[in-house]
Amino acid sequence: MTRQLRDVWFWLTVLALALAVLFLLYPLLRVLGTSLAAGGDGRSGWVTLVTDANYRAAVFNTLLLGAVVTCASTLIGVPLAFFAARFSFPGKALIALLPMTTLIVPEVIAVQTWLMVLGNNGFLTRFLADWGWRLPSFYGWFGLVTVMTFIYYTYVYIGTLAAIRGFDQQLEEASQSLGVTPGRSLLNVMVPVVVPAILASALLVFTLVVGNFAVAMVLGQSVPLLSVLTYQSFVSEVGTNPVMQSTLASVSIGIVACVLFLQRWIVARGRYEIVQGRGAAPRRMSGRAALPIAFGAAVVVVVSILPLVTVVVGAFTRARGPVMRWGDWTTANLERVLLNAPDPIWNTLIFAGTATALSLVVSTLVGFLIVKKRNALTPALDYLASLPLALSGTVLGIGLLLSFRDGFLPLAGGAGIIVLAYLIRRLPFGIRNASSTLYNIPNSIEDASVSLGVPPLRTFFKVVFPLMVPSVAAAGVLVWTTTVAELSASVVVYSAGQETLPIQIFRLIDSNLMAQASAYGLVLVAIIIVPILIATRVFRIDLFAAK
Amino acid sequence: MAGIRIRDLVVGYGAVPVITDLSLDVVDGSLFTLLGPSGCGKTTLLRTIAGFVPIRAGTLHFGERDVTALPAWLRDIGMVFQDYALFPDKTVFDNVAYGLRARKVAAASITATVGEYLERVGLSAYADRMPAALSGGQRQRVALARALAIKPTVLLMDEPLSNLDAKLRVQVRETIADLQREVGITTILVTHDQEEALALSDRIGLLRQGRIEQVGTPEDLYARPASAYVADFVGAANTLAVTLAAPVAGGSRARIDLDGTMVEAMAPAPLPAGNAILVARGESLRLVPPTDGIPGDVPCTIRRRQYLGGRTTYQVCTASGRIIRVEAHDEAAALAVGSTAGLRLDPARSLVVAS
Repeated sequence: MTRQLRDVWFWLTVLALALAVLFLLYPLLRVLGTSLAAGGDGRSGWVTLVTDANYRAAVFNTLLLGAVVTCASTLIGVPLAFFAARFSFPGKALIALLPMTTLIVPEVIAVQTWLMVLGNNGFLTRFLADWGWRLPSFYGWFGLVTVMTFIYYTYVYIGTLAAIRGFDQQLEEASQSLGVTPGRSLLNVMVPVVVPAILASALLVFTLVVGNFAVAMVLGQSVPLLSVLTYQSFVSEVGTNPVMQSTLASVSIGIVACVLFLQRWIVARGRYEIVQGRGAAPRRMSGRAALPIAFGAAVVVVVSILPLVTVVVGAFTRARGPVMRWGDWTTANLERVLLNAPDPIWNTLIFAGTATALSLVVSTLVGFLIVKKRNALTPALDYLASLPLALSGTVLGIGLLLSFRDGFLPLAGGAGIIVLAYLIRRLPFGIRNASSTLYNIPNSIEDASVSLGVPPLRTFFKVVFPLMVPSVAAAGVLVWTTTVAELSASVVVYSAGQETLPIQIFRLIDSNLMAQASAYGLVLVAIIIVPILIATRVFRIDLFAAK
Repeated sequence: MAGIRIRDLVVGYGAVPVITDLSLDVVDGSLFTLLGPSGCGKTTLLRTIAGFVPIRAGTLHFGERDVTALPAWLRDIGMVFQDYALFPDKTVFDNVAYGLRARKVAAASITATVGEYLERVGLSAYADRMPAALSGGQRQRVALARALAIKPTVLLMDEPLSNLDAKLRVQVRETIADLQREVGITTILVTHDQEEALALSDRIGLLRQGRIEQVGTPEDLYARPASAYVADFVGAANTLAVTLAAPVAGGSRARIDLDGTMVEAMAPAPLPAGNAILVARGESLRLVPPTDGIPGDVPCTIRRRQYLGGRTTYQVCTASGRIIRVEAHDEAAALAVGSTAGLRLDPARSLVVAS
């Protein structure tokens, strides 16, 4: 034991664990604990939740929305992945861009641009109205399901595509050689192997829907939803009675945690040993069979890229108040955003930059400890580090405010709490990406360096870290792009003067100032795209190597 | 240079340690092999000597230096790994220079030393290559040069040949043998391959469940196994359970009842009456025609015959159903499957040991 106590990695694990307990476990426990306390009316939040019809409806609606969006995403994502993996058809190259669109277009911009198309004032709504067609209001189920489906189907697509590509086609051939028709072989052999991956990504979508803030907030005014009520109870109850917000947050944590456990169980059960085999070569499709598939894929691609086009058009379109004058081009919106009110841009760059830099240090260290330096404490660190997956941004923000508003570490009101929220929210993502190359680095390399006389910490910097650089760089870009787009946690913890781009866009949507929102949106997209382009084109970094 | 002295070593936590009360001496400048099946603790023992596994009790000396509590990076060891463990982002030269740079050796001296050791492993022309551009055998020779360039006190090799194909294995084996003798460095090699152990070692320690079963020269282990386990592991001998009618003195011949026939075998150590194990290697047994009828021949039936080029192996079955492997070098006396024969032991090359 004396030897283990002297190990530098052991002490670093202790340090990381202490920080995780302080900034992750403690806020979570504060949320759960506060929900059990008595509220202003003397009742526990849980009693209110069960007795109040509005809250009951919110829980039900959230589950229903999660189920509907999950099914719709699966219905789009799975066929698209199957045809993309197995066939080549005209225009297929465009599909390869799909994983990028979720990364490039923040949710808040997606919902904003959908509103510009199908909202009460949307150009498609008006166009159809001119022809006498009346669409159902986009504010409500129609909008919620449409926007969320087209944001989240890419998760199912990516997960399914990876599973189908990893599937050894020889198994299908083996089945056919045993006298089973190709169609039945697909059903008998491939489906059981691919289904766990589909279920896992579909359940991920479910958790994202439950935690979704931007879309639910903008479109869900007529539909009570958990995340919206949580935020509203937070806004109205700041400084007074945080019981209800904690109760609602606890419900959301409970739902997401259950689904994540189910997901882990499915992934663990479905992990068949797949011998690295030959993936199927895409079969060429042409003529009549190819046409409907190519058309369907094209529709999905166009709809996915629509927000990007709309935000560019909107940024350059003249507007008077909420009224967009389509076709009347101007650079006034951008000028105002860049010259008169650039604060949100600077805030975003500074907060996200700090958070990304910190995240890389923490992710690299924690990833290394979890993958390479297992000891009695690393499993606990592993669990704590993946805890943010179960917390929606709103819940995380509320937890941080409850814990650090005053008391021993008063962070609230400062920029530090925004950076902290960013850091924690993207931590699992950062760790997974930063440590992806570690699995390919044999432990013997470290032993070799140590045996040649270099102590462990210097060995890490001389031998292991240089090999981690590609994955750390990829993690840096991915953490940056997802952090600058972060809304749901930062909108809870920020104070006046600390508006970031997503917060500012969110506020402008609320005021129906779409042109200016588009201008900020364009800047945000640029801040996201430029590092991606530099990383992939100049440094040739494979951003999706970890997936 | 120094020998290695291990006294009463205990390694591992919990009720059942991986290594229990192990003592061992490796003579200065010799090549010692730790041999055993997977899971016997041989790699753990090597990594303990290297300093990667903490010692729970006991002492470890390199020469006069007590290294028991010293961390790996201060023990002054050279180590060669099963998967080569070359730094993939560094050239062959930089790999070999790595330990020298860590020791702050002057640049000119580094160039000279690296050049010398690359020359010794026959890879002078490859100094600027990256490890990925080398074959497995070349990579392991670079790893050997890297380990030796720092002129360590001891050289530790963990299954250095097991990732190589059969032909390269013999080549690299010879490089290791030559270099170890030239440099005269005390070396411990870990392997599960008994042929490798026999070919390379000055002495072999056979490990079984964290304990040393036998230490000796290759000849000792092969010709004078201390137990049935050693006999079976080194060279896969026939081990037959027998019963001794009377105690046997050490170094004398024992008379043993084998399925009704009285045979003779050497007892290297004294044995009590009762259960014992008769050890007979396939090549020390002969099959004779049943008609010879000499009293010492055990009647048997041929079950299987495999022609292997220079030799033929037979599997025979005795009256009580014992299966015995026999190796024959004279093809002229080929025996058909199903025919009967007599099995004749060579008393000088057959052993009887405790069960």
